[in-house]
Amino acid sequence: MKMILTIIFRLTVSCLIAGTIMGMTFIVTNKAKKANEFAREEKVVYSLMGYSHDNPIPDSMGMHEVFRYVVTEGDQQSIGYLVPMGAHGEGGGFSFIRISLDGTFIDQAEVVLSEDKVREIGDRDAAIQAAVGDSRQIRFTDQTIVVTDHGKRLAYLLHGKFPGFKTNIAVMLALDPAYSMVGLEVMEHEEDPGLGAEIEQDYFKNQFKYKPFDKIKSLEVVKAPMPGEYVDALEGRIDEADALKIMEQYKDQDIYALTGATISSDAVSSGVKGITKKFAYRLDILDNVLEGQQIEVPF
Amino acid sequence: MANENSSIQLVTNGILKENPIFKLALSMCPAVGISTTVMNGVMLGIAVLFVQVFSSVTISLLKNFIHPRIRIPTYTLTIATWVTVIDLTLAAYFPAAYAQMGIFVKIIVAFAIITMRLEMFACKEPVTASFWDGLGMGLGFLLGMVVIGFVRELLGSGAILGYDVLGFKPLLFFILPSAGFFVVGLMMGFFNWIEAFYAERKKG
Repeated sequence: MKMILTIIFRLTVSCLIAGTIMGMTFIVTNKAKKANEFAREEKVVYSLMGYSHDNPIPDSMGMHEVFRYVVTEGDQQSIGYLVPMGAHGEGGGFSFIRISLDGTFIDQAEVVLSEDKVREIGDRDAAIQAAVGDSRQIRFTDQTIVVTDHGKRLAYLLHGKFPGFKTNIAVMLALDPAYSMVGLEVMEHEEDPGLGAEIEQDYFKNQFKYKPFDKIKSLEVVKAPMPGEYVDALEGRIDEADALKIMEQYKDQDIYALTGATISSDAVSSGVKGITKKFAYRLDILDNVLEGQQIEVPF
Repeated sequence: MANENSSIQLVTNGILKENPIFKLALSMCPAVGISTTVMNGVMLGIAVLFVQVFSSVTISLLKNFIHPRIRIPTYTLTIATWVTVIDLTLAAYFPAAYAQMGIFVKIIVAFAIITMRLEMFACKEPVTASFWDGLGMGLGFLLGMVVIGFVRELLGSGAILGYDVLGFKPLLFFILPSAGFFVVGLMMGFFNWIEAFYAERKKG
């Protein structure tokens, strides 16, 4: 009996010490981790839009985040969008707009939320929950950034995730207002180095650049050697004007698969296709509703 | 035993005579799984070095407090704590490298080499000796990972540390996990051959 008690006591003390060490590390590193993730995302956003830290986005441009939620009430489902209100630069607060599954407007509710808290998922969920009432359940699905210049839409930035060859691949895409591709960046993946991991290389991901929406809708992967001039253009080895000309020439071409990684290539191309098509469909509905209800938004 | 062994002997023992990968053939899973590039090898090697040294010192410090009946669970708890620390640190400060090898850092908890050194050495020896032993074992593992990573990266993707040196990819096979066994096997043979060679020379 005494031995058991000794063991229990010593194990408990060891566990408490271990827990304290781990907890302290978490507190110290968590801040750095979040800052890192945010910095990386910002960098990707800048580079997709053609800006860098030294060449920052001008003041006339705005980035407006739209968050999409699924709202469940009993066995009824609807889609909710958290959108900023008012014209650009006025800071008119946020509104939660509910749309039924067939695309008709249901209601609009004011959400009390400050600009810097909208990114924190906990604060955001709580604020929306308070606005829609306790009888409805909300679930966050995705977010889109609408980039505007002088109040006119310039681009959409979308986050996306889809299954790759091994685990999920997370990407960020930039589309222009006609849903043509502006750029693609691979944020996270665990594909095989040397094979599927090549999806993050310029010569693969830049193939998506400048593809028109009509082409993206039917995007396929071809197993064929990539023409040399196209590789040079994608890798940025020739000057920009020439590269653009070549890209233009290949813009209706399917995606050339990576050697030894057809499944990864196919996963990215169909993932991008799916994200773009769904986004275009959803945004058209949202735009229709915003116009029909004369809701003023900054984008 | 601790008095006879100088710190240098303890360290070189881990690197050469009892190299975890090439001599003891322990922790082969990461050696085969993650060592596709030099950089991955270095990162995992450093993580293991850190965990090994800290766990050895912790167990050596607490050896009178640990009840013999539950020593293995305590080892696992100790290792898990230091693995969590290095895991969170790498994730926070080296996100790019962590993205590639995140799951392998977590399974350091189950690395045979670390538990084995705690059981064989740290729970009997004083703190300083345990520190040097842990350092030697960690460095031995790091060396093994870097050598394997070097061979596989050079032959598999024709590059060293991500820089293209050959301009072509000689054998794509070396990137794949199964090639890890080939490289480890060849290295083991090489190490044994060198040892046999020197033993022969000493004799005659």
